[in-house]
Amino acid sequence: MEFLLENILNLVGFLVGLVIGIVSFIGYRNTGSPTLFRLAIAFFSIGAGFLVIWIGFMLEDFVIKSGSIERWVQTLGIGIQTIGYFFIAFSHSIKSLFPKSRYFRSVGIFPLFLVSSIHIEHIFRSISFILLAYGAIETILSYFENKNKGAISVATGLSLLALGEFLGWYSFVFPESILYYLSIIIKIAGLIALFIPVSKLPLTKIKFDESFD
Amino acid sequence: MAEYRTHMKIIGDILTTTCDDSQDENGATVTYLIRKANVSHSRISRMLKVLVSQGLLEKVNEQGSNKYKISQSGREFLAAYNTFSNFATNFGLVI
Repeated sequence: MEFLLENILNLVGFLVGLVIGIVSFIGYRNTGSPTLFRLAIAFFSIGAGFLVIWIGFMLEDFVIKSGSIERWVQTLGIGIQTIGYFFIAFSHSIKSLFPKSRYFRSVGIFPLFLVSSIHIEHIFRSISFILLAYGAIETILSYFENKNKGAISVATGLSLLALGEFLGWYSFVFPESILYYLSIIIKIAGLIALFIPVSKLPLTKIKFDESFD
Repeated sequence: MAEYRTHMKIIGDILTTTCDDSQDENGATVTYLIRKANVSHSRISRMLKVLVSQGLLEKVNEQGSNKYKISQSGREFLAAYNTFSNFATNFGLVI
């Protein structure tokens, strides 16, 4: 059951991250917008993080067969996802706190995270939760400004991912409890909610750069 | 408090004005664009120069005055801008 749910979560996470990352990158190539560039980094990182954990589970199940995924692989995957969540929150912070800063608008700062791997995983989950909660709050605030219905779906997705991270972190306190499975299911729902507005984009109407074909 | 517009948003506003809200089929004058896109003269002059050099706008000389008209590339860019602007808005962001 754990293996199946983890595989579904990680594959859905990888695919959603990859698709949103590609759409953002196409947007960046067509408009040159730094915001879309940061979104592309964010979602490619999130997708890559899920992919690392999925590969870890597959290797464990078919090659290593030790009964549980290598802790450092899971920590690495969560760490990469956290970088993605950081870039989503970073884009919001630029919009809200530094709207006129050319420096912040043109470049991204790479986060510097300075313990056993399980402690690092706790830290990553806590940071992810904070970043996701911040992203969700900013997104819902932007909905009140422009009434774009897609923002509700994205805010719901980020909120569910934040709740999933929180429950995932809490399941360390109560291991083997239903909280862990609940966390995975909530995260899958969050990823699907994130994907809904992206799936409605009329991308076929746009003539993309020839070099991108 | 006035809303801060990004450089990209101002470009979008200029292109939208020349596309949907132009004075006539020959395009819009600088004065008209300043009023519609709400940009200062010095800033819009620099931006128009770049947009013309990038092929997004066409400069038309009509009876001694310069007018700006959106090109086919400009229309395609504007379509992409509108789509990805909506995409970013879904994430609570502006491009």
